[in-house]
Amino acid sequence: MLEFICLIPIFTGIFAMYLPVRMGRMILILTAFFHLQFVVLGWLGKIKPGLPDYFAATPEGLLILLVTSFIFLLISIYAVSYMRESEIQSEPIYIGCTLFFLASMSMVALADHLIVLWIAVEATTLVSAPLIFLHRSKAALEATWKYVLICSVGIALALLGCFFIVMSMNIGSTHIPLTFSSLTAAAAKLDPVWLKAGFIFTVIGYGTKMGLAPMHTWLPDAHSEAPSPASALLSGALLNCAFLGVYRTHKILYASGLGDYSSNLLIGFGLVSMFVAAIFIYNQSGYKRMLAYSSIENMGIIAFGVGIGGLATYGAMLHLIHHSLIKSSLFLSAGNILLGYGSKLANKTGNMAKMLPKTFTAFFAGFVGISGFPPFGIFVSELLIIMGAFQQGRYISISVFIFALIFIFAGASRLVMNMSFGKCDSEILVDENLARVLPSYTLLLTSIILCIWLPDSIYQTIIDVISTIGGSVNG
Amino acid sequence: MIQISDVLLSLTLLSVLLSLGSNRLMGLVKIMAFQGIVVSLIPFFIAHLNEMTIGGIFFLQIMIFTKGILIPGFMFMAVNRVKIQREIEPIIGYHASVFAGLIFILVSAFIADRLHISLPDEHVLLMITAITTLAAGLFLLMTRRKAITQVIGYLMMENGIYLIGTALAKETHTQYVVEFGVLLDLLVGIMVMGIVLHNINHAYDDVDTGLLGQLKD
Repeated sequence: MLEFICLIPIFTGIFAMYLPVRMGRMILILTAFFHLQFVVLGWLGKIKPGLPDYFAATPEGLLILLVTSFIFLLISIYAVSYMRESEIQSEPIYIGCTLFFLASMSMVALADHLIVLWIAVEATTLVSAPLIFLHRSKAALEATWKYVLICSVGIALALLGCFFIVMSMNIGSTHIPLTFSSLTAAAAKLDPVWLKAGFIFTVIGYGTKMGLAPMHTWLPDAHSEAPSPASALLSGALLNCAFLGVYRTHKILYASGLGDYSSNLLIGFGLVSMFVAAIFIYNQSGYKRMLAYSSIENMGIIAFGVGIGGLATYGAMLHLIHHSLIKSSLFLSAGNILLGYGSKLANKTGNMAKMLPKTFTAFFAGFVGISGFPPFGIFVSELLIIMGAFQQGRYISISVFIFALIFIFAGASRLVMNMSFGKCDSEILVDENLARVLPSYTLLLTSIILCIWLPDSIYQTIIDVISTIGGSVNG
Repeated sequence: MIQISDVLLSLTLLSVLLSLGSNRLMGLVKIMAFQGIVVSLIPFFIAHLNEMTIGGIFFLQIMIFTKGILIPGFMFMAVNRVKIQREIEPIIGYHASVFAGLIFILVSAFIADRLHISLPDEHVLLMITAITTLAAGLFLLMTRRKAITQVIGYLMMENGIYLIGTALAKETHTQYVVEFGVLLDLLVGIMVMGIVLHNINHAYDDVDTGLLGQLKD
């Protein structure tokens, strides 16, 4: 029963809401651990879906599920220590909602039915809204309101996209189950006009959730106002899940011979996202907002890579994994900085190298990683995307791509250098401890290890994912 | 012979125009309740009765209940609770809004005409109404400042999506797709709950999203 992967966090989440906080924390970590076990079992093909009409273990779903489950475990270890320090009264709500959040994201990853996927994405919005509102401040309220409203509009448009895809199926008079796998198999019979319309609405709908510009406006607010473990989850796991919706629809279009159309749309959205992120990072004053814009940039890179095709798709999938690892590590370090200095503004922090040396190591290493320097994986993935784009002869797009990367590096490095080595008069409010730096180190280390040694099963899965949209490692 | 479905469609259009021109929140909520009931009745009169499955009739009742009673009731509560009567200073004025609504009708007629090739004949009017409702909902969402009016705009947009689904669903009655639109009402419910419970009223003197303007770059 593959569905247990979604059901377990739901049940434990309900328990955790009503149990005392201490037990809730235990449940959180235990659930995360068992979830990872189940995911590995599913990965090995030991468990089969109980409802094959609605759920399936697709390679792209498994890939994202593994990443989600892995970072969830580390984030929940961090969260326990973080919650103890920041004294949030509504901690049971946090524990319950993150578990529901995990359940809904697992459902997105495992869903094969169009509508089940859509319901799961809607559920992620519903259960993550309380996480953003956890601090109950004015700013948190504003961020939550924007998040719910904008994402709801996106989800409504995604439903419209689903209608259009169903319509294309009806006009082509094919009677097949409404699953991504059977639609991809019968893609040639679908009506191209309605399919294109469906893709546009799906990209706008799920793209809102994924943070593609210009639908990204909720993202910086939500990521900066949510408590840091929740921001790490939003950035490292939720955005990938939303990407799955876009990716699966792209797969149908590719199979029906409309690959050029959907690829160009993805490239366009990707470049616009990178460009917008570059502009806003350059003059950014809040470090969490800077990280949030960097997420927009990286989602843009993934969309761009998938759109380019060929070698770049392999780069995009690697990028997805490494971005999740590094960005969630960065958000966790940002949580330590926030606890330490008590401010989200970069100019209120400084001299981190002396004052918070362990956090500094993680934050600076994460910054090096996210900017695309070796030995972290983003170096490889961005290089592969650039190489892939050159192979396809897309010189103009690739120059915009490289320009945006340089611009972002320039803006972000100014901020990070000031935070690390600049002057600071204030004292540290909450000292760092091992439970709150080890998860960051582990995430970064995983990125380095995966860069040097990619296990065969993961490699094979990535190849399975990209072969359906015309990607290959040989260009 | 007068088609009941056409009457219902024109009533929907009327409610859309009314809502664009009204500034009293209580009136808006009442219009939305009316629109919800009319919109959820339309599939019943469009589909041929013998084609209605038991599941279809069941869903129809759920739709009428949520769109016509539950959600408007919730909103009624919210408006009472936050004690505001009028939407003041919209970003685009009421007369201009009604005018925009008329333009939406024209544009949707144009779009529906372009789609004509792939749509059954009797659904063209339905398509026009649907696209107008969708566009007007988005318009309301973007041009009003009060949180509650934005939610009403969202609700209207959702009605439009439901109608588009109905127009396209000629052959999809074997698979329930359109009916899942009811889950969007869940989101509306959450938003209204947010207004009622989550201190939008406490944190501000007014349920005005213009005050929700701290976070920006």
